[in-house]
Amino acid sequence: MIAEEHLDREALELAEALQPIHHPPHSFFRKYLWSLDHKVIAKQYLWSGLIFLLVGGTLAMVIRWQWAFPGRAVPVLGPVFFRDSGGAVGPAQYMQVFTMHGLIMIFFAITPILIGAFGNYCIPLLIGARDMAFPWLNALSYWVFALSLCLVIGSFLGELGAAGAGWTTYPPLSTNVGTPGSGQTLMVAAVFVTGVSSIMGGINYVTTVIRLRAPGMTYFRMPLTVWGLFLTAVLNVLFVPVLGSAALLLLLDRTLGTQFYLAGAATQGGGDPILFQHLFWIFGHPEVYILILPAWGIVGDLLAYFSRKPANWYRGSVLSMVAVTVLSAVVYGHHMFMTGINPLLGQGFMVLTLIISIPAELLFLNWLRTIWKGSMRLTTPMLFALGMVFVFGLGGLTGLYLGAVAPDFYLHDTMFVVGHFHFTMAAASFLASFAGLYFWFPKMFGRSMSEPLGKTHFWVTVVGITLVFGGQLLAGYSGQHRRLYDPFVYQYLQPLRALNRYTSYAAFILFLGQLAFIWNFFHSLVRGPKAEANPWQVGTLEWSIPSPPPMHNFDHLPVVRRGPHELSSPEVRARLGRDWIGQAEVLPDAHDVPKTAPARG
Amino acid sequence: MTAPGVLLYRPPHARDEATARVGMLLFLGSWAMMFAGLFFALGVVRWRSPMWPPEEVGPLPVGWAALNTVLLVGSSLLLEMALRSVRSGRLGRMTAALGAALAVGVAFVASQVGLFVRMADLGLRWDAGAFGGAVFGLCGFHALHAAVGLVGLAAVLLAAGRGALQPGRHLRLRLWTQYWHFVGVVWLILFPAVFAGGRGG
Repeated sequence: MIAEEHLDREALELAEALQPIHHPPHSFFRKYLWSLDHKVIAKQYLWSGLIFLLVGGTLAMVIRWQWAFPGRAVPVLGPVFFRDSGGAVGPAQYMQVFTMHGLIMIFFAITPILIGAFGNYCIPLLIGARDMAFPWLNALSYWVFALSLCLVIGSFLGELGAAGAGWTTYPPLSTNVGTPGSGQTLMVAAVFVTGVSSIMGGINYVTTVIRLRAPGMTYFRMPLTVWGLFLTAVLNVLFVPVLGSAALLLLLDRTLGTQFYLAGAATQGGGDPILFQHLFWIFGHPEVYILILPAWGIVGDLLAYFSRKPANWYRGSVLSMVAVTVLSAVVYGHHMFMTGINPLLGQGFMVLTLIISIPAELLFLNWLRTIWKGSMRLTTPMLFALGMVFVFGLGGLTGLYLGAVAPDFYLHDTMFVVGHFHFTMAAASFLASFAGLYFWFPKMFGRSMSEPLGKTHFWVTVVGITLVFGGQLLAGYSGQHRRLYDPFVYQYLQPLRALNRYTSYAAFILFLGQLAFIWNFFHSLVRGPKAEANPWQVGTLEWSIPSPPPMHNFDHLPVVRRGPHELSSPEVRARLGRDWIGQAEVLPDAHDVPKTAPARG
Repeated sequence: MTAPGVLLYRPPHARDEATARVGMLLFLGSWAMMFAGLFFALGVVRWRSPMWPPEEVGPLPVGWAALNTVLLVGSSLLLEMALRSVRSGRLGRMTAALGAALAVGVAFVASQVGLFVRMADLGLRWDAGAFGGAVFGLCGFHALHAAVGLVGLAAVLLAAGRGALQPGRHLRLRLWTQYWHFVGVVWLILFPAVFAGGRGG
């Protein structure tokens, strides 16, 4: 015991020497703009992401309006943005609206919130570090991201309008032949620049997790949230550069006139439009896991915290997430069944794709076993976590249809695909983001959010999201292709008019329901009751320090003694009289505890 | 209560160095993936073209490109020599080797530019077919990385001149050497991918 204490002290001295406490800055510039504090950078990402989430959501409403009432003037927005066409969305503008909706939501809303904000905020706090491994690089990564946001805004102001080649930006449509405007060029540049920012962030996250874990924080004692963010960062480091190479060649094609993606009589040959699809999906399939792994991590933790039980088979969940991360690199071909690839190759990709459902299923069963017989506390974060499990289940099941070659031939490029990836990438990621935001808000801002408003927000969101994307699945299964300006010019789609209209109504209600969140967020930010250090009674390291934490996070770096989900342990309850214990807390010896300790919690 | 793995702890500056090296490894891994994407593109373009290089382009200056390979490998070896020198405390020799590596590196970039001019004279254009794009785009992008490396090495040389590099405290030299090796390895793939073989279907 004495030797162990000695080792603890030695480890602490060395760890603290590596991470000295810096004095907080005083100037406005160093405090809010070029801050090296990971918590401030996280909030910068959060604000940017929320603003662009609103922009992306508004664009979605325009799309839904077009599907409900094709060619009719858009209320409120129409007179401002579509003046030339009398308030209605024109065909070219419609292309731009859905393109910008997709790109903004993926690269400029989910990515900054889920990875930029939670990654920056949680990783150092949850592993017991004072900051990121490379704070300067961290600040740079945010400002490079901000530059990409400027390029997005610039794209809207482009001479022929914004980017309009779909979020996948396939050539030849995305080359100068299809979309000659500067808006498309600026958007491809924005994706390249935001990729550079993601890589910088990824290098930082991975290095931080490898090098700066507090003494005793072994890999298998890290909260699942950190595991999710860590694996996402690994994928970001390895696969965003492939998107970079695809975007770079596209930029060269668009600006210098090279012909990497052009083929045919008008060119001197050698280029290949399908080449882009390969490069794009080599990145693109890992990307969908980049967006879901942090969500899996957050939800895995929250389900355990609010069921007051350890997460079921923690190691199994971690290994499943690792397995999905590895497999995600070798399945991209299932996006290209229709490009005329070798059928044998298609079958290979199909098998690999369907293998992913095994670790995903394992993870899912672990979630269900975690809440099984737990003493559930249905707080707002818990509700959002449960909602994520529900919509991810729907999304995952519909993925089986698309991963198999034969049904994909029928469903390819229909609204079914749109419904599927919205359930997984949009609904699941956003519900997990909201779960995380409601959960860490007290720590981030030192104030509490309103629970009744939060629960209202939850019910509108989860019901709305299920109806909207469920409607898309139905429409797609009935044969409605995605990206049609006016689906009802086709006679066989005319019976789907009512379905599309009702789906749109659900979408409008979903959008309005977000007002509950906006009000709750800003009102709580200013007027919310002061939060305690540990309002949810959980044991991970961030809850052992004040809300909001000081700039250096930990006065003394913690020495971690146990895993993240030590809840409802009978031993802890007997000795401490509560149902949780901190990861770094010392459990008093049995004989030190007075026999009269109240057993509660 | 299990004892944390504290016995592996080393002095703080060594731990700082280890952190920097992990970061560098990740950065180079990431950039390797970017070049892997570009090589994938080059491979597809070359595989699909009926003739490489295209008919209208004269014979490529392969000898010149091979000379560039020799320059780049030579500068990498010189940097490795500088690294060994600083480890064994021979600081003068380190500065000399570093300076020589920098000079050879500058010669590489200059020779690379010369190669582009020569190929332009041969009638090769980047906006006429995928071959030109591959040569100018990919080799140009690589030369850009070499130029960044030169700036870094020059900064290390200045630091060495100030006496800031000491045995056991030469992280900067180590990291930039790794970067320069990376640039070299990329060229060793790029050179045969663009210049070797060729003609015929």
